[in-house]
Amino acid sequence: MDLQSLEIGRIGGSGTSKPVGLRATALRRLRRDPVAVAAASVLALLVLAAIIGAPIAAYLTGHSPNAQYPLALSNDGLPIGIMQRTFFANGVVHNPHGSLFILGADALGRDELVRVLYGARISLLVASAATCLALIIGVTLGLLAGYLEGPTDAIVNRLTETAMAFPSLLLAVALAVVVGPGLLNIVVIIALFTWFYPARIVRSTAVATKRLTFVTAARSIGARPRRILLVHLLPQVWAPLLVYATSIIGYNILFAAGLAYLGVGVPQPTATWGQMLSTAVTSGMYQIDLSVALVPGLAILLTMLAFNLLGDSIRDALDPKAGRR
Amino acid sequence: MKRIVLNRLLGAIVQILAVTILAWLLFFVIARFTGASPARRIAGKLATPAEVAAVARVYGLNLPYWEQYLFFLNHLIHGDFGYSYVQQRPVSTIIWPALRATASLVLGAALIWLSVAALIGTYCGRKLHSIGDVGGRALSIIGMSIPVFWLAPMVAYLFGFEPTQGKLFGFSILPRGTSIFPIGGYVDLGTNPIEWAYHLILPWITLAAGFTAVYIRYFRTLTAEQLTEDYVRTAAAKGASTSRVLTRHVGRNVSPTISVLLGADIATALTGVFFVETVFAIPGLGYVGVSAVENLDYPVITAVVIVTAIVAVIANMLVDLLHAALDPRVRRVAAVSV
Repeated sequence: MDLQSLEIGRIGGSGTSKPVGLRATALRRLRRDPVAVAAASVLALLVLAAIIGAPIAAYLTGHSPNAQYPLALSNDGLPIGIMQRTFFANGVVHNPHGSLFILGADALGRDELVRVLYGARISLLVASAATCLALIIGVTLGLLAGYLEGPTDAIVNRLTETAMAFPSLLLAVALAVVVGPGLLNIVVIIALFTWFYPARIVRSTAVATKRLTFVTAARSIGARPRRILLVHLLPQVWAPLLVYATSIIGYNILFAAGLAYLGVGVPQPTATWGQMLSTAVTSGMYQIDLSVALVPGLAILLTMLAFNLLGDSIRDALDPKAGRR
Repeated sequence: MKRIVLNRLLGAIVQILAVTILAWLLFFVIARFTGASPARRIAGKLATPAEVAAVARVYGLNLPYWEQYLFFLNHLIHGDFGYSYVQQRPVSTIIWPALRATASLVLGAALIWLSVAALIGTYCGRKLHSIGDVGGRALSIIGMSIPVFWLAPMVAYLFGFEPTQGKLFGFSILPRGTSIFPIGGYVDLGTNPIEWAYHLILPWITLAAGFTAVYIRYFRTLTAEQLTEDYVRTAAAKGASTSRVLTRHVGRNVSPTISVLLGADIATALTGVFFVETVFAIPGLGYVGVSAVENLDYPVITAVVIVTAIVAVIANMLVDLLHAALDPRVRRVAAVSV
């Protein structure tokens, strides 16, 4: 690892004779990559929109995310569309301040824009919390399995192999049905069905690294297993884990949305992207008014796209061979 | 080879047993503490205690837990998945037709995604950084980002439903009165093969889209990697045509890796089936599973979990064996290590 990073530093050509680490090289490459910058900006904007944008939108439109506005449904009970104002029962447009529904209303007369922004909070929160939990479980088990080998390794290996072979969403739905819906339950369930990927990555890195001379050297000067694990092995796994984490946050948004879609997500009336999409589709409302399915769907698509592009860029930036091509 | 088969078979049996234990624990032990007892659910709300007790005896629900599990397993081996709480008929009469529908959906989709991705991916791998390659990569990253549970209703909206077919936001984007694709429904392969394929076109494409995107990348990377090898230059030097090099030489070396990836992705595809089946009204495992979840019909959920897991395990096993058949190195390593 250290040999490689020395070489990258030389080839990266920072101009000085001082060797540059992989981290600095990767960061410099990322800053120069327009796709990475664009994807990262979209994600930053998204987080901003979720944290600050949601209350601002609620304030400006005067619509709270869970409030139902009967006037936002037209005479025949259908929700109003994009950029339309509320109706009176006789079809006359009702126009005090804040009656504009920028992205239309859903089947219950709730403001789609405000809901999609508040939904971003829950969707991003669930996905990142589940990713953190999965990383904690996976890194711990992977490091232990890779370092200790023997029975621990065998058990962890069997567990990951068995778990990876199964359709995870199905068991997750089954589990959610039994333990009941709820924010924390969803986070734990997603983590329970994703921890084995980081565990495998960390294990293989740990197995490869622990035979290197610097670990032997550390052991020979009397470092305890705990110190070797935390100080010498853990820093070696951050690069593959970072690539993994960026791709998996996006995947977890999908996972949470999928659970909501199958009726076992965060309970109503809390807005989440998956739940918005699922109500639009399962009620059949999207066949009459496409925007109720288009808005949350495009939100998920945009987020996934940004995470996928960023993950790709990070992978390329961390590739030690990239500088030579 | 015989050893590999035996080893893999044993592993598969252990995995399937693990799933039955998990599923049984989930629905017959944990569910007992959270909901009504299974015997009461089967007997119905109006049953007298004596009737409930009789049902419990028939289904072995009065035995100790470990005996109940063996009872459950014994029935499972004989193809008996218990009795649906909601539909009031044996679960096996629900599961088997559903499995046929799901198998048609997944296998057809796999065929589509493999062939499309092999074409595009190999092209991109041959012409790295060309305009076609950049286009293929863009296509693939967009495809990877589209959630299947969004794509399914969108495709159905545009092509599969009566009033909306060919329309977007009220505008006709296809010629007026177009009805190229059927409106929902499913026809069994045994009844009418042509209608079967016709009704499955949209679901196949929907399920295959995301996988095509992922497999384009696999094919692209693998092909590009193989093309730098010396054997390719040798083959070209002795006068083999490009198509021969690609199929007989490169394809031969790409296929073992693809087959391994395929095993894991068949399991993933069984997840996507949930969304595609509910939108296109295909009476498969996903459709049955979703309605069972809505009705808390535990025996059906258990059966769907177990059957899907068994299908996934078998798919993985077959693919591993295929890998061993395609890649002589795997056979040699196994022969040495066992």
